[in-house]
Amino acid sequence: MNNTLSTKKKLPIGIAVAVVVLALPFILQLIAGNDYSVMICCIILVYVIAVSGLDILFGYSGQISLGHAAFFVIGAYTSGLLNNYFNTPLWLTIPAGALLATGIGALLAWPASKLKFHFLSLATVAFGEIVYYFLYVSPKIGDSSIGFTNDYMGINVINIPFLDNYTKWYFFLLFFVVIFLLAKQSLIHSRTGRAFMAIRENTHAANGMGVNVRKNKIIAFAVSAFYTGFAGAVYVHLIRYIAPATAQQKQSVLFLTMLLFGGTGSLVGPIIGVIFIELLLELIRPLQEYQMLLYGILLLIVIVALPGGLYGGVKDAIVSLKRRKETAKLAKSDQ
Amino acid sequence: MLEAKNITIRFGGLTAVNNVSMQVRPGQITALIGPNGAGKTTLFNCISGVYVPNEGEVILDGEHLEGKMGYKINAAGISRTYQVINLFWNMTVLENVLVGMHSRLTATFWDSLFHTKKKREEEKQIVEKAHEWLKFVGLDEYANDRAGSLSYGKQRLLEIVRGLASEPKVILLDEPAAGMNTTEKAELDVLLQRILKMGYTILVVEHDMKLIMNISDYIYVLCQGSLLAEGTPAEIQNNPDVIAAYLGGDE
Repeated sequence: MNNTLSTKKKLPIGIAVAVVVLALPFILQLIAGNDYSVMICCIILVYVIAVSGLDILFGYSGQISLGHAAFFVIGAYTSGLLNNYFNTPLWLTIPAGALLATGIGALLAWPASKLKFHFLSLATVAFGEIVYYFLYVSPKIGDSSIGFTNDYMGINVINIPFLDNYTKWYFFLLFFVVIFLLAKQSLIHSRTGRAFMAIRENTHAANGMGVNVRKNKIIAFAVSAFYTGFAGAVYVHLIRYIAPATAQQKQSVLFLTMLLFGGTGSLVGPIIGVIFIELLLELIRPLQEYQMLLYGILLLIVIVALPGGLYGGVKDAIVSLKRRKETAKLAKSDQ
Repeated sequence: MLEAKNITIRFGGLTAVNNVSMQVRPGQITALIGPNGAGKTTLFNCISGVYVPNEGEVILDGEHLEGKMGYKINAAGISRTYQVINLFWNMTVLENVLVGMHSRLTATFWDSLFHTKKKREEEKQIVEKAHEWLKFVGLDEYANDRAGSLSYGKQRLLEIVRGLASEPKVILLDEPAAGMNTTEKAELDVLLQRILKMGYTILVVEHDMKLIMNISDYIYVLCQGSLLAEGTPAEIQNNPDVIAAYLGGDE
């Protein structure tokens, strides 16, 4: 879609990125001497899946969701509850969480696909609050005095030998990030992906060109919910803790900030956004109460100064630099 | 081939199109003309599924289309362009044509997601075909540019070729010459003849009388929502009612 870098330049950059990504946990352990920084990388990988999912819905299909954390939490609780109550193995709990989120996403999209812009954002806000409240006042199970979720839920640890440290987690997650991003690229450059973009650009004309708008909006919602639900389902096993409050506005706005800051409608944008914001949050950990303030400021910066996000901004800079070089060359050859 | 029978559509108390019947014959250019506010575009929208007519039928090769959703009508074989250009601005020129092919593609959602052989082969094929369409209107050098960066006349051409990409039985052109200069209009004239030669059928709404009289095989004249006259260009030019409607309508 964009030709900012020639394919000749892309290959070495790709190899360099791959080497850094593969060596990262070992480098971090050498420098920091502990697992904590590797865990941050793991969280970043989880969020990359979640935010890429949001990108399919918001960036490509133009359907805003301010309740995406709800899908994350649905995935997380499904996965966590199956683990705690039924001792279900990981390779079943994670798909179960992702699939339940997908189903609920499709159900939500059924009526929501008729809504536009701020009406849709209000509906998704309400959806997030409903999920939060449902978990908060969750029904009791057996003779326990509290609901199945209570305020928070710790995850019983089932011994998984191939995931007993964060470095192993890192590669486990990296594998899924690669798969999910490949699937995203394939989807975008296809009949379905072009239908998504056509809906974003002009719903009326998309319909006239043979795109079933409602069906494709529902597909976009479902795919997006699958990505984010999957991320939540993995997250809960990684962190071993989840609380209903995660379904609230704050987490949804975090996802949206990451996406907008990195750049919507691209492969790289969500990745850059997640890395940048997550590292920033780590840096200002002592000032946690001011997180929402930070999101607000970042969103303002992006909307006013960098409409394409960091990725879009860098891309534009490269293009204009190239153009300047070319004009300089032309001017020289004229002399 | 395409037939609209006794179409009536009302908006509240206003009858925008009143009991209009028309026929589009295969391999011809049929034109719909009339003064501003005559209901031409409204009738177009009834045929292409934007509006549902209150009364009447739209039949394409024996298939009833009235009241169907726009995307189904496109799949049935009616494609269109818009009076106000409705391109997908932030997609590339090539992608616009590819979206135009949407209803003719067979790759499913799962093919798209898993990058199956079927999808890869189809993609290769349609990208080639889309380039051919772009060459047909001389836009191939802009294939990877944003559609929004094209000049006005080229945007019109892209819209026509996006409509043709679904290989429709009938293509509806809503004021294709609007905003074009004289040279562009002459080129459009030639282009429409070439499209006709490829075996397509055209229904066109247009204001430019000179262009219409040149290109059309058959003309319907609408006035205040009703059919005023129909006939060949020569008949229409000499019809006293039509002349009155265009020149002396106020008296």
